[in-house]
Amino acid sequence: MSNKSKTMIEVNDVTMRFHMNLDKILSLKEFVTRKLSGKLVYQDFTALEHVSFTVRRGETFGLIGRNGAGKSTMLKVISGILKPTEGSVVCNGNIVPMLELGSGFDMDLTGRENIFLNGAILGYSEAFLKEKYEEIVAFSELGQFIETPIRNYSSGMLARLAFSVASVVKPEVLIVDEILAVGDAAFQEKSRARMLELMGGGTTVLFVSHSLEQIRQMCRHVAWLENGRIKMVGRAEDVCAVYSI
Amino acid sequence: MSDPKRELNIKKIFWGVLAAYILLIVSFNFLSGEQLHFRRSRGEVASPVADGGAAELAQGVIVEQTFQAKIQRLERVSVQWGTYYRSNAGTVTMELVRPSDGALLMRESFDAATITEGQVLSMTAAEPVETVYDVPLQLRLYADSEIGNAVAPLVASQDVREGFVLTVNGGAVPGTLCFSASGTDYIWTGLHYWEFSAIFGALLALLLLLVWRRYRRGKHSYLVNALIAMRKYRFLIRQLVARDFKTKYKRSILGIFWSFLNPLLTMLVQYVVFSTIFKSDIPNFAAYLIIGTVMFNFFGEACGMTLSSILGNASLITKVYMPKYIYPLTRTMSSAVNLAISLAPLLIVCLGTGVVFQKSAVLALYFFVCLIIFSLGFGMLLATSMVFFRDTQFLWNVLNMMWMYATPIFYPETILPDGFRIVLQINPLYHFIKSARMCILNGLSPEPTVYLQCLTIALGMLLVGAFVFYRKQNKFVLYL
Repeated sequence: MSNKSKTMIEVNDVTMRFHMNLDKILSLKEFVTRKLSGKLVYQDFTALEHVSFTVRRGETFGLIGRNGAGKSTMLKVISGILKPTEGSVVCNGNIVPMLELGSGFDMDLTGRENIFLNGAILGYSEAFLKEKYEEIVAFSELGQFIETPIRNYSSGMLARLAFSVASVVKPEVLIVDEILAVGDAAFQEKSRARMLELMGGGTTVLFVSHSLEQIRQMCRHVAWLENGRIKMVGRAEDVCAVYSI
Repeated sequence: MSDPKRELNIKKIFWGVLAAYILLIVSFNFLSGEQLHFRRSRGEVASPVADGGAAELAQGVIVEQTFQAKIQRLERVSVQWGTYYRSNAGTVTMELVRPSDGALLMRESFDAATITEGQVLSMTAAEPVETVYDVPLQLRLYADSEIGNAVAPLVASQDVREGFVLTVNGGAVPGTLCFSASGTDYIWTGLHYWEFSAIFGALLALLLLLVWRRYRRGKHSYLVNALIAMRKYRFLIRQLVARDFKTKYKRSILGIFWSFLNPLLTMLVQYVVFSTIFKSDIPNFAAYLIIGTVMFNFFGEACGMTLSSILGNASLITKVYMPKYIYPLTRTMSSAVNLAISLAPLLIVCLGTGVVFQKSAVLALYFFVCLIIFSLGFGMLLATSMVFFRDTQFLWNVLNMMWMYATPIFYPETILPDGFRIVLQINPLYHFIKSARMCILNGLSPEPTVYLQCLTIALGMLLVGAFVFYRKQNKFVLYL
């Protein structure tokens, strides 16, 4: 990599404000009648307010906070799905978000076709997928079922396939929303190990979890979000100590 | 980006672009042939409607019509004849003379016995006459028949035109002879085709050179960025198109064969309906119909698919980042694959009904490309509107139907009343379909301006669609 800078992700004063009409008007007639009668009420909802932090290359950075604190919104902003209302996010590498597995799976396609489709959606190159194809199939333990349409799969099989595709990559930035453990007990153990291996492999990881135990174990630095604001940023032990009180 | 795999060979691509440009220019010149240089003259003289005979054209009678026409290359002069509904004899001669120097430009003789009532006889110049633009001309008619056995040229006695004088044996007669003059004009852009091509090519080369230099110095450039994005998302786009296409006919027995069968069956139904119930006098109606059907069906399908591209991929948009234009683009592209397949039935019907393919048929592809670009632009507009107002899909269904009836797909454009012609003129699909039909069925290339017009319409629509889409795309995720 030519870019030798130490900073991998830079979140600069990000504010995410949703400007929405109250009851999500989606029909033209309703919109016009409301607009004419002046009943079009908008409500601002601020999910993130002036959030700033930096993640250094190679470190595992934790995000903690209660439900609704803005963690998921933050991850969506960083991965580019949402565009912040104010502020900016600079990211110096390709991001693989493990937010939700199996995005873009098509039930009518076979397992093999879905590996390529889902891989392409996650941003893998064709050469990479061809090279790793055997590995993905082997990891998913699907065997000959790989050639059947996935609408015939059980939910466990689906989860295994999705996890295998998502975790094959060696990204520069990995975004993890809880350590995913899917499938039966044996596969859960295997996927947890794979996850830890990925996160420990020198890549930059942005890690969201409700388990303080895991956060303490894996992260050097942690940001604590509350009601869309940064409550505290610092070393993992310090933040966790305050948070758990 | 120092990843060697991501490194683009910009230089090679630019040389490729230039080579492709030269190839296009040369092949267009070859394929469009004569129509690149000449078009039907706008100064043609049309025949008035007859209401009587000028004089019985017996020996010794001379009917002369002086006229002026703004035709650069006069090719043909025709006269309409009456026979008094009897059998006639003798030889009728038509001459075209330039009175200023008495030069004889055209002459042709006909056997009066073979002339039927109301027949139009034409004389055609061996070489187009190029020296008579807006010059007074004289059309002279005489015969060697006897009275009672002679034919008569028809006149419109109420028709008065400036500079037109009709005389019989030297005496002026009111009205105008039922004659027409036709020819072609030079097309200015066609005459300077190579100059224009060279100038445009030089501009293109200059642009590429500038971009190349910016790129070498490591500066930001839209063109290079677009190329990088194209390379980066090529695999994804291919996968998404393949998915659309595979899932469309999955679990149907005939599968992909439907893409082939659908236009054929649609055309067949329309053919039966419109050739038996409503008579139409279009030559080779089957081929006329299938070109219109294939093109309009593509438009309807592509717009319908693109319309739902954002909403239908909501689960992806809220979870993974990729440029949002990819969704409408892939939907239009999978429809375009369908269009390519439906070219097979189009070819079969054309060959089966005896259409002789000229080299100009290749040019029809140009109008197919314009149609695809136009559909993408319009589809992006619909997709954007659909996110904010779900009514769009119902409005689109109505609009699609109106549009279909406003486009001459199964009827000839001549049946439309004059007040309706403006609707045709502003209907882009009419231009695309008409030009494609002209290339395939008539073996003629449209005028150069038509190419420019169609491309402008298509790119304009894409620009508008892409602009609206671009301005609104960040809000999509909030409304899904």
